[in-house]
Amino acid sequence: LNSITESTSDEESDENLKSLTQSTHLIQDTIDPIDAQEIYDLTAYIQDPEHPLTLGQLSIVNLEDIQVHDTGNQKEMAEVVIHITPTITHCSLATLIGLGIRVRLERALPPRFRITILLKKGTHQSENQVNKQLNDKERVTAACENEQLLNVVSNMLSTCK
Amino acid sequence: MKLELARCIKLHEDKVWSLDFSRGLLASGSTDRRTKIVSIKPEAQVTLVDELDDSTHSKSVRSVAWRPGTSILATGSFDTTVSIWTREETEEGEEYDSEEDEASREYSNSNHDNKYVMELLAIIEGHENEVKSVAWSYDGSLLATCARDKSVWIWETDEIGEEYECISVLQEHSQDVKNVVWHPSLPILASSSYDDTIRIWTDYDDDWECSAVLNGHKGTVWSSDFEKSNNNSNIRLCSGSDDCTVRVWKKLNKGEVGTSVKGTDDINDGNANEEEDEEEENDIYDNDDKWICEAILPQEHTRSIYSVSWGPNGMIASAGSDGKLVIYHEVEDKNEKNKMRWEVLCIKELIHGIYECNIVKWIDVEGELLLATGGDDGYVNLWKLI
Repeated sequence: LNSITESTSDEESDENLKSLTQSTHLIQDTIDPIDAQEIYDLTAYIQDPEHPLTLGQLSIVNLEDIQVHDTGNQKEMAEVVIHITPTITHCSLATLIGLGIRVRLERALPPRFRITILLKKGTHQSENQVNKQLNDKERVTAACENEQLLNVVSNMLSTCK
Repeated sequence: MKLELARCIKLHEDKVWSLDFSRGLLASGSTDRRTKIVSIKPEAQVTLVDELDDSTHSKSVRSVAWRPGTSILATGSFDTTVSIWTREETEEGEEYDSEEDEASREYSNSNHDNKYVMELLAIIEGHENEVKSVAWSYDGSLLATCARDKSVWIWETDEIGEEYECISVLQEHSQDVKNVVWHPSLPILASSSYDDTIRIWTDYDDDWECSAVLNGHKGTVWSSDFEKSNNNSNIRLCSGSDDCTVRVWKKLNKGEVGTSVKGTDDINDGNANEEEDEEEENDIYDNDDKWICEAILPQEHTRSIYSVSWGPNGMIASAGSDGKLVIYHEVEDKNEKNKMRWEVLCIKELIHGIYECNIVKWIDVEGELLLATGGDDGYVNLWKLI
């Protein structure tokens, strides 16, 4: 799934690129950079695993807690850092919510993005533990091979546009 | 010096996690669940020679390792199992020979004329969850495996490699064990972990015990590698971590324990008492070895370091999430004679384009030393240091 969506977004960017270079002769590898609002729009509609509300509605994802470093150059690495705010400090689903955000962004963003997801400081009793797990590439890969977990994540993402 | 791309080969449909090279053959393992084997000849001539039966593992192949001096391959998977493969003897007893066919020397997906069939020999079960690393001891008699279940298992096998008996389960790490690596000529094992430490395991009368804990990294230790030295009284290990540092660790010999603290040789004699005190303070295990962090290498990485490799040329290579390949070498300190320090020899950026690099290894192709890297783009790249 990951590779399919990645390639789609690549193709889209390629098309953008073509039209840009044909009309204005811009530098070939550069397209519009992705900004925090776009990252917010990608993640705010993810459904909370236990409430019938979205992460945006619950203020788990907030626009001001998203940082993006992107020049728009497709041949350079880019970075997204998102701080999420769990609804309660002992929220047992913080890791799952973080995983949902990561899967959503990995599928939707071009592959140049490195994604860092962190709990907002002081919002969770196991902050460091959750942060470490959410940003461990190997654990995330393994989680995405766990069918049960992937089903839960798919449900969370089913409300995304 | 600079790094030049000698070859890039699209081998997988997803992340390449692991590479191992032995006797002209490079094995690669990937999240696409496949294990591929390519032959590498001088001038970076690459030919795909086999693809292991992909129904064996139901999840990512995380780690591959050739048994020294043989055609036996171990692969560890997120599906909790380790599989063992061996080259099937062809009926004609024909050896693969690339010189017969110029065209086949070039890498090609469709070219399977060069028969090199790997057959499944055994499946090892035991770990509770994802196997993260597999490694053979220098003489091939022992296989070490580690997993998210926090344990390291040591398996003993015979010459054929069909039967595996677990002789030890080491459970002292408090979190996932990411990587295991053996010393190139001694029965010493190092394991790196999500608990930020490296543990050194040594055989005491057929009993494997933790002989040292290397503390210092401030994040997951993803990988470590021993120095390829013929001098067994000088044992060193390098390691790479989430904290973006590469560290070099050194095992102190008995006489060095005191002197290293003082930093001069003159104090060596007549100071036995002080050494004893020193030992008493640090003794945690009965069979304790003393290790020190000898150096933190110049920090060039900006994201997690996933792999380090200590080459037979004495150089250390590191690579990771920032897509940089960094080569370090040891030079004599200008200010202090007989003192060595580590310097960066060269850096190459974007070694897998905009993708992350998961593995780097020095490989010796008939006397020519190359670097092999594997990335999230499914490519295996070969680099020449010129």
